Amino acid sequence: MATGTQIEVVMPQMGVSVSEGTVTKWLKQPGDTIARDEALLEISTDKVDTEIPSPGDGVVGELLVAEGETVEVGTLLATILPVGAVAMEAPPAPAPVAAPVALAAEPVAVAPEPPIGVAPEQPAAVPVAADAASGNGRTFVSPVVARIAAEHGVDPNAVTGTGTGGRVTKKDILAHIESGATAPPAPAPAALAAPPAPAPAAPTPVAAQPAAPPAPAPVAPPAAPLQTGEVEEPMSAMRRGVMEHMRRSLDTSAHVSSAIEVDMSRIVAARAQLKKEYQASYGVNPTYLSFIAKATVETLQDYKWVNAEIRGEKVITRPWVNLGIAVSLEDGKGLIVPVIKNAQDLNLLGIARAITDLAARARTKKLLPDDVQGGTFTITNPGGFGTFHGTPIISQPQVGILGTYALVKRPWVVQDELGQDVIAIRPLMNITLTYDHRLVDGAYSGGFLRDLRTRLEGWEQAD
Amino acid sequence: MPARAYLLDAGLVSYREALELQQSLAAAVIQHGFPETVILVEHPSVVTTGRRTSETEVHLPEDTSVEVIETNRGGKSTFHGPGQLVCYPILDLNRHGKDLKRYVRDLELAIIATIAPFGMEAVTIEGLTGVWLDAPPRKLASIGIHVSRWVTTHGFALNIDLDPAPFTSWITACGLEDAQFTTMSRELGRSVSVDEVKPAAIMAMGEVFALEFDALPAADVVGLLARHAREPLATR
Repeated sequence: MATGTQIEVVMPQMGVSVSEGTVTKWLKQPGDTIARDEALLEISTDKVDTEIPSPGDGVVGELLVAEGETVEVGTLLATILPVGAVAMEAPPAPAPVAAPVALAAEPVAVAPEPPIGVAPEQPAAVPVAADAASGNGRTFVSPVVARIAAEHGVDPNAVTGTGTGGRVTKKDILAHIESGATAPPAPAPAALAAPPAPAPAAPTPVAAQPAAPPAPAPVAPPAAPLQTGEVEEPMSAMRRGVMEHMRRSLDTSAHVSSAIEVDMSRIVAARAQLKKEYQASYGVNPTYLSFIAKATVETLQDYKWVNAEIRGEKVITRPWVNLGIAVSLEDGKGLIVPVIKNAQDLNLLGIARAITDLAARARTKKLLPDDVQGGTFTITNPGGFGTFHGTPIISQPQVGILGTYALVKRPWVVQDELGQDVIAIRPLMNITLTYDHRLVDGAYSGGFLRDLRTRLEGWEQAD
Repeated sequence: MPARAYLLDAGLVSYREALELQQSLAAAVIQHGFPETVILVEHPSVVTTGRRTSETEVHLPEDTSVEVIETNRGGKSTFHGPGQLVCYPILDLNRHGKDLKRYVRDLELAIIATIAPFGMEAVTIEGLTGVWLDAPPRKLASIGIHVSRWVTTHGFALNIDLDPAPFTSWITACGLEDAQFTTMSRELGRSVSVDEVKPAAIMAMGEVFALEFDALPAADVVGLLARHAREPLATR
């Protein structure tokens, strides 16, 4: 969902020595849908052309500056309307509106039904809305604000609005709630557990999960006043989703982690051999992660309970592996776990291709809701940063997550052809299995890791 | 302390290929924190236009067959050809002052520092971005930049040893009607090669932007990008 209120796009500050810029090209027109961070226009200053990204999701409303005009920093350039609102200059714009709305139909209806009768922009709303906000009339608030208000039992009319025409924005209502001006949200624990509506094209992994078990409503500690130098910002929907999910997983599963060291010599050799061919013929990079994913999927066939799920007092196992791959988004903005469906049917190339595709779509927010659902086991790969060990958190309702870590050359004791111990330099990787000890025992998990290592160390390239 | 950056000395590369390379690198810098990279190339003859190029600027003689490419860089039309050192810094301006004008001034400084070891004194002219030799003004280097999320593409072109006629006879370069264009060879009265100037350019870029370069072999760029795209996969 887009943010609920109209977003204003202003000429940004592009350096202390830059006071103005020329609009060279509008990359979107009124009525076009636009995602946060997507380029909206280009500004030229001196010999530099700069793309100005949209500050939020929505539909382009008005373009207020013509191409070729030079404007000062801070000048209002355009407005972005929330998805669902009707762009003033584009009366019949059904197409751009329909698509995101359909995608937004996520399984998040646990929260009390928000008043979603998306109110159209009121023409000449400025004086009218200001009156309404200060008085007792029905103030227009966006669906997002309405939902937040409903969740926290706040009357939006009681909040001072800073939006256009004194409208109550999401920021206003969050600030109002933060300030403690409202009663604790006692009667609706489920509402708290429900993730907020995700961005249309990037549902959080949490959104795909079944409803949370009713947790006792946490009593929020009184908000500490902000100290000088501290910066406060609202948490994104995805962040809140991740927050809720991580906590719930730790509260649900009995997490235990085991690690094994794997000599990756054969994988390194196989990869070097395949890399050129894969890249030239298929445009796909056979990453170490693809090899590990392939070996993991094979090993899971022999260890059904690592690929299982606990439902009540029953254990659910299945013949297929839907492999989740944890993908972190840029700048720590969140985490998403797209799923490779029926990974047991894919060969190495198929897995490498699926990982490349999902990771790219995750980062460009082009995942479909189905891409993040139905995972039966997950791999996370923080080793790119050089870390050699970790204890990841299980993605519910799964019971296991594999962690892969930095590939490092180490002195390693091996046997030469005479059976003598010698020290060799080998590329080693630590691999961890974090499992839910409610279902998976230590010996069983040890067997899984041992067999996985055997597969990787004895890799025969067959595909 | 200088930051580590890559230096890619790519040799003679077509404009389009170099543009694609720049865009891949910029995307990697934006999305994955790929190290900043400075590309040095020469282009086969080509005319490029910027967003603000007016139609009258390009007036190729009838017997000339040269490709004209529209780009997304700032500035107006320009000409590239062998004998010109083209430098494309893919920098994250979050690390260099977050100021578009300052970046252009810094590039001018780097160009001036590049030619100083050759005994050339250049100037900048208010309102006429680029690097000039004075009295009468002759343009030695041109600048055109594109910035997306504070990451730069495009850069500068320094005329070293080429015929500057196309700047005026093929196009009205930079939209400047009566400007003269010159080259280092012409000014120094001897043949100066691009290879001779590269070390000075590398040193100047390193000094102005506080970068310490690791050479990036041209053949490995694709693999390196792919590898880098994979690494941030995950975390829990």
